[in-house]
Amino acid sequence: MTESTTTSPPAGAAPDPELGAREAQRRDTQERRRQLLRRMLVRIIALVVFLGVWWLVTSLQLIKPLYLPSPASVWHAFVLSNTDHPIAPGVDRMVKGEQNYYLWEHLIASLQRIGVGVGWAIIFGPILGFAMASFKPIATIIEPYLNFLRALPPLGYIGILIVWFGIGDTSKMWLLFLAAFPPITIATINGVRGVREERINGALSLGASRFQTITHVVLPSTLPEVISGIRIAVGFAWTTVVAAELNNGIPGIGGLAYLSGTELKTPLTIACIIVIGIAAILLDLAIKGVEKVLVPWRGKA
Amino acid sequence: MINAHRLTVRVLAAAVAVVGATALSGCVESNRPAEDAAGGSECPFEADPSVTSTVRIAYQNIPNGDLVVKDQKMLETCMPNAKITWNKFDSGGDVIQAFGSNSADIGLIGSSPATKALSAPLNIPMKVIWVHDVIGKAESLAVKDEAVTDIKQLKGKTIAVAFSSTAHYSLLQALQDAGMNPAADVKIVNLSPDKMPSAWEGGQIDAAWVWDPTLSELLGSGGHILVSSEDTAKAGKPTYDLGAATTSFIDANPAFMTAWAKAQNAAVQEINDKPDDASVSIGAVMGISPDDVKKQFAGYEYLPAKDQASADYLGGKMATDLEATAGFLLEQGGITAVSPPAVYAGGVDAKPAEAAAQ
Repeated sequence: MTESTTTSPPAGAAPDPELGAREAQRRDTQERRRQLLRRMLVRIIALVVFLGVWWLVTSLQLIKPLYLPSPASVWHAFVLSNTDHPIAPGVDRMVKGEQNYYLWEHLIASLQRIGVGVGWAIIFGPILGFAMASFKPIATIIEPYLNFLRALPPLGYIGILIVWFGIGDTSKMWLLFLAAFPPITIATINGVRGVREERINGALSLGASRFQTITHVVLPSTLPEVISGIRIAVGFAWTTVVAAELNNGIPGIGGLAYLSGTELKTPLTIACIIVIGIAAILLDLAIKGVEKVLVPWRGKA
Repeated sequence: MINAHRLTVRVLAAAVAVVGATALSGCVESNRPAEDAAGGSECPFEADPSVTSTVRIAYQNIPNGDLVVKDQKMLETCMPNAKITWNKFDSGGDVIQAFGSNSADIGLIGSSPATKALSAPLNIPMKVIWVHDVIGKAESLAVKDEAVTDIKQLKGKTIAVAFSSTAHYSLLQALQDAGMNPAADVKIVNLSPDKMPSAWEGGQIDAAWVWDPTLSELLGSGGHILVSSEDTAKAGKPTYDLGAATTSFIDANPAFMTAWAKAQNAAVQEINDKPDDASVSIGAVMGISPDDVKKQFAGYEYLPAKDQASADYLGGKMATDLEATAGFLLEQGGITAVSPPAVYAGGVDAKPAEAAAQ
């Protein structure tokens, strides 16, 4: 607050237009920073209030710890799952994290599966999307199957994938791939179909070849849509990861969340859920960042 | 705009790189063995380096010798040249699915799922080779209402059980033995154990036939045990946690099967003679305290190989037990036909247990 008073222009200063513009810009960024700070503050207060209510409810024992463990016990479960610890107080035997893996290793194992499944979707999805948008017969044939696949619940067909590809990582990656590629394909189709005709004609009339219109007009115009599709696909992969890891899902954060649930270890389940949520948000922010770098023309062209 | 094409190429290249890197690097490998195994780096019998089998074992978190064998790396030390991987499963049904898709060679399944596997429509070529435990008080009928002291008083009440589990079988047997009609006199709902406490608390179920940790949870919130699987076993309808392996694997790896049974036998002896040591190993795998494991020991009976090979178990009666279970599963719609008696007799192989008993 004191800062704003010191940087405000002194009264009666000469009205230099360039200086005024710079001043306005500075004030603008300052205002934006203040807004950001205020937003952060509101969020932090909301989080503290939420944790306080959680703590109060559990410490008053209004709800049994099995259904809602205290924040402290969730934190304890989180710490234990990331360290070597004795299996019980007073016992010498040490174990590693949970199920012989640290929690972060469970997370990385899931990220690897998502990386491979979504990675293949990022390669295959746009290719199929371009093919479907460019050649009518392909779209006519494939579109119903794409919509069919899109509507299927992952839990419904994981059993078939296990019979086909075994209980190992292959079936899990297939599931994540099948969940991730339809949104990317559909986003690509929408992107290609959304390219305005006059732009292509404009490029053609300026002497561009057919191929050049694709590489210089269609592809750049489609890229923002493709990246949006990828963001949706990654979100979808997260929601699918527990289904993928129901069988033989250790190591895996989804598998651990499910397993701890069946063993009534609720604090660990909640710790897993929080970790999944935070990881998903961070990954989404990362893709947003990549989008800013790769397609700075988004919304401007 | 000229950059656009290059950018697209870069995006694709990045995607390929990500896929390649994660697929190749594999920074977190599956089925990593525990580094700090409890003591047992020595084979409890003469090691057999001639065994070079590749084995995929399906285990479950049930407190018996299988987890002692796993934790103390008995198979790995007794057969240093065998390639052994352990995969965790949550139910016998999942293990059968793995047998069917050729993703597992040997595994732990309850007697009900084992029967299911040997009957139509599955008809999976596998054999029962071991009795990990005889289920006793570990699976019990917990009842909420203190006034209920006889199973007949449950008439009209709702009972929760995990369908096609050994507990399901025991529950229906207990009801039938009490002269009740399971289909009409009570309402039986299919519920996985982890969902039972909330249904119990909310008053949606009056009783549940279940195992730990849910059983302890229900007893802790005001329940009491009415009957247990020990009672139904005494009444002639025992339930087991069994070791089973695919027939092709047994035929191709006789030396492995013998060493495997010897290791299991050593684990049974440790549970019976040195429960303090065994409970630490089992606790380390299950992620519970050794004291809790020891409490659970009381709910099971662990048989040495000599008893297992006898006519009371693998040497004879097991086949008829499986056949009886098949008759029950047929009534419940779990299978479509009871196989001929020869199938259940052929579905039990006492040879590994006999070899381990010597």
